Amino acid sequence: MKRNTMSYKVRQYLMFAGPATLLFCGVVVIPLIYGLYLTFTSWDGISTTKPFVGFANYAAAFGDGDFWVALGRTLIYSAIAVILVNVVAFLLAYMVTRGIKGQNFFRAGFFIPNLIGGIVLGYIWQFVFNKAFTAIGANLNIGFLKNSWLSTPHGAMACMIIVAVWQYAGYMMLIYVAGFMSVSKSLIEAAQIDGCTQSQATWKVIVPLMRASFVQCLFLTITRCFMVYDVNLSLTNGEPYNSSVMAAMHVYRTAFTNRAFGTGQAEALILFIVCAIVGVTQVYIGRKGEVAA
Amino acid sequence: MRKLGLAIATLAVAAMTVTPVLAATELTVFNSKSEIQTQFEEEATAYSDAAGVDMTVTMSNDPVITHMGTKYSSNDPYVLSMVDAKDIYSLTPEHGIDLADLDAAADTDYAIEIDGKVAALPFCVEARGVMYNKTAIEDITGEEFDPASVATLDDFKALLDKLVEGGMEAPVAIMSEDWSLAAHYIAQVVEEQEDPEAYVQALCAGEGDIINNEKFNSLMDTFDVLMEYNYAKDAAATADRNTSEDMLAWGDVAFMFGGNWDWSLIVQSESDSEMGMMPVPQNTDDGTNEKLVGGGSKYFFIDSSVSEEQQQAAKDFLNWMAKDADGQDFITNKCALISPYKSNTLDVADPLSVCVKAYADAGSLIDNYLFFPDDHITMVGASMQKYLGGKIDRQGLADELTEYWKGATPIAH
Repeated sequence: MKRNTMSYKVRQYLMFAGPATLLFCGVVVIPLIYGLYLTFTSWDGISTTKPFVGFANYAAAFGDGDFWVALGRTLIYSAIAVILVNVVAFLLAYMVTRGIKGQNFFRAGFFIPNLIGGIVLGYIWQFVFNKAFTAIGANLNIGFLKNSWLSTPHGAMACMIIVAVWQYAGYMMLIYVAGFMSVSKSLIEAAQIDGCTQSQATWKVIVPLMRASFVQCLFLTITRCFMVYDVNLSLTNGEPYNSSVMAAMHVYRTAFTNRAFGTGQAEALILFIVCAIVGVTQVYIGRKGEVAA
Repeated sequence: MRKLGLAIATLAVAAMTVTPVLAATELTVFNSKSEIQTQFEEEATAYSDAAGVDMTVTMSNDPVITHMGTKYSSNDPYVLSMVDAKDIYSLTPEHGIDLADLDAAADTDYAIEIDGKVAALPFCVEARGVMYNKTAIEDITGEEFDPASVATLDDFKALLDKLVEGGMEAPVAIMSEDWSLAAHYIAQVVEEQEDPEAYVQALCAGEGDIINNEKFNSLMDTFDVLMEYNYAKDAAATADRNTSEDMLAWGDVAFMFGGNWDWSLIVQSESDSEMGMMPVPQNTDDGTNEKLVGGGSKYFFIDSSVSEEQQQAAKDFLNWMAKDADGQDFITNKCALISPYKSNTLDVADPLSVCVKAYADAGSLIDNYLFFPDDHITMVGASMQKYLGGKIDRQGLADELTEYWKGATPIAH
C-alpha cells in the first residue's frame, strides 16, 4: 500500500481525527459561522425570517454606550481579580508545598470552591453578604458590616472580586503547586550552597522557572474573568441599578431580554475579540521570556 | 437457518401489515407560571386519562422568548403555550391560530385580539396594589381597618404615623426588584393616564413632560411616603422579596406594594393574619386611588404548525379549563387563582385574590399597559432603584425616564 498518496493520508486523517473534527465543527465552527451570520440580520429570536441589515448591528453595538461602560467595568474587574487570584493562589501554593502538616488536606480544601458551580456560589455569597455579614455588623456594632456591601456599586464590585478570588484561587493554586514541584531540588540546593537565602532562592530560582505556570494561570483567569456571567447573575444580577452589569451579562440582556439578537451577537463578537487580544498578548509576552532549567 | 430466515421475514411482513394501535394525541404545554407547575403537572395526568390525550407540561425559568425561540429553532414547538400578554404580540402573528370559535373565547372579557382574530385566551386575572396585614393594623390601632379610609395619601400617612406611635417601628416594606419597581409601580404612571397610548407616543417622540405630569408626581408622592416608612430605608437595595413578604405575613410591617401573585409566597409563612389588598393611596379625586391595576394574565395561544388533532386537543383543553367543573376547580381551588371566565362562579381561595375579584367584579380595575419596551424593566428599574437608594432626586428620575423613553420602541401592536 502506498503511504504517500493523498487518499491514504485523507483516510488516515478521517480515521483518527475525523470524529473529533466533526464534533469540533458541530459545536464550535458552525455555531461561530452561524453567529457571524446573525450579526448581519435583525432576527428577533423567534421569527422564521431573518432580514439582512448589513452592518447595522455593528453600528448599534459601537453606539451602545452601556455596552462600552460594561466592557470598561469588566476590564477593571478582570484586572483586579486576575492579580488577586494569582497572588492568593501563589501564596497558597507556596504554603502547601512547604511540607506543613496536613498539606494535602489543605490542597483539597482550597480547591473545593472551584467544584461548586458559579450560580450556586453566587447565591451562597449573596446570603453571606446580605445576611451573615450584616447580622455580625449589627450584633457587634461593626460599622462597615452593618449594611450589605451589595447595596452600593463599589461594594457590589468588591463582592464580585472577592467571590472570584474564592472561586479561582484554589484551582490556580494547583497549577502553581505543579510549578513548584517541577523545579528540581538540586537547583535550590545549589543556590543555597552558593549563599542564597530561602527568599532569594524562591525569587531568583524558583519563580523564574515557574514562568509557564504564571502564563497558564494568567491566561485562564483573564479569560474566565472576562467572560464572567454565572456569578454576576446570581450574586448581583447587575444591581444596584445596573452598576454591576459585566460585558457578558449586557450581551445576554441585549440579545435575549431586549430581543436584539443581531446586536447582542455583534457585541459578543467584540467581547470575544477584546478577550482574545488580551489573552493572546499575555501568552505571547509571557512565553517570550520563558526559561528552562 | 432457512427456517429462521423465513420466520423473521414473516414477522417483518406481519409487523408492517398489522394496523398499529393509535397513540394518544400528544398535547405539549408550556407553563411560564412557575408557582403552579406542580398543580399543572398533576392536573395534566388526570386530564390525560379523562380526555384520552398525552398531555405534558413543561416549565422554564428562562425568559419566555429565549425558551420559545429555542423550541421554534429546533422545529419542536409546544402545541399550547402560556406566556405573558406582551409576548402574544410577538409570537402569535406568525405562530398562533385564531381562537374565535372556542366557547372559552365567548366566556371572557380578557381575550387578546390582534387584527380581528382572537390570538390568545387568559389563564387568570391578576392585579396589583398595596397589600396590607389587617390583623397587625387593628392590633395597634384598636379599630377595625377599612382600606377605603386611607384612599388619600394624607389619610394613609396619618395611619402610618399612628402605627409608628403604636410601636411598629417601620410599617412599610418595598421590594427592590427591578420588575416590581418598573413593571408594576412606575408603570402606573402610564396606566393611569387618560390615554396611555397617546402618552407613550408623546414620550417616545420626546414630547413628554414627566416632571410636571400630574400622575407621575402623585405616584411619586406616595412612593416617597413608602420610602420614609420602609423598614429597609438604610439599605433599600438589599430588601429581598422573601424577607419582606415574611415580615408582612407576621405583621412586622403592615403594608407592601405587590400583587395577588404574592400570595404563593406569603402563604408559606403560615401566619394566620388577615390579609388584603387596596389601591395605591394618592391625593387625587379622579378615582384612580379607588382602583387596582390589572386584568387578564398569562395567556394561552395554540401553535399553527402542529397537526389539526393537536390543535383540537388544545382547544378542548382551553374549553375544559373555562367551562368544565374540573377545569374551573383547577384554576380556582388547586391553583388559587381568579378565573377570567364568566361561567366560573367558584369562590376564590386566597384573601388577596378575594380583594382583586371584588375590584374586578365592581369594574374597578385599571387596564395593564401591555406594550412597554423589552428593556423597560432593566432600564427603568435601574432608575427607580437609584431613586429608592437616594442616589437621584425626583428631577433626576424624571430626566432619566425622559431620556430612556426618547430612544424606546414599544412592543408593536
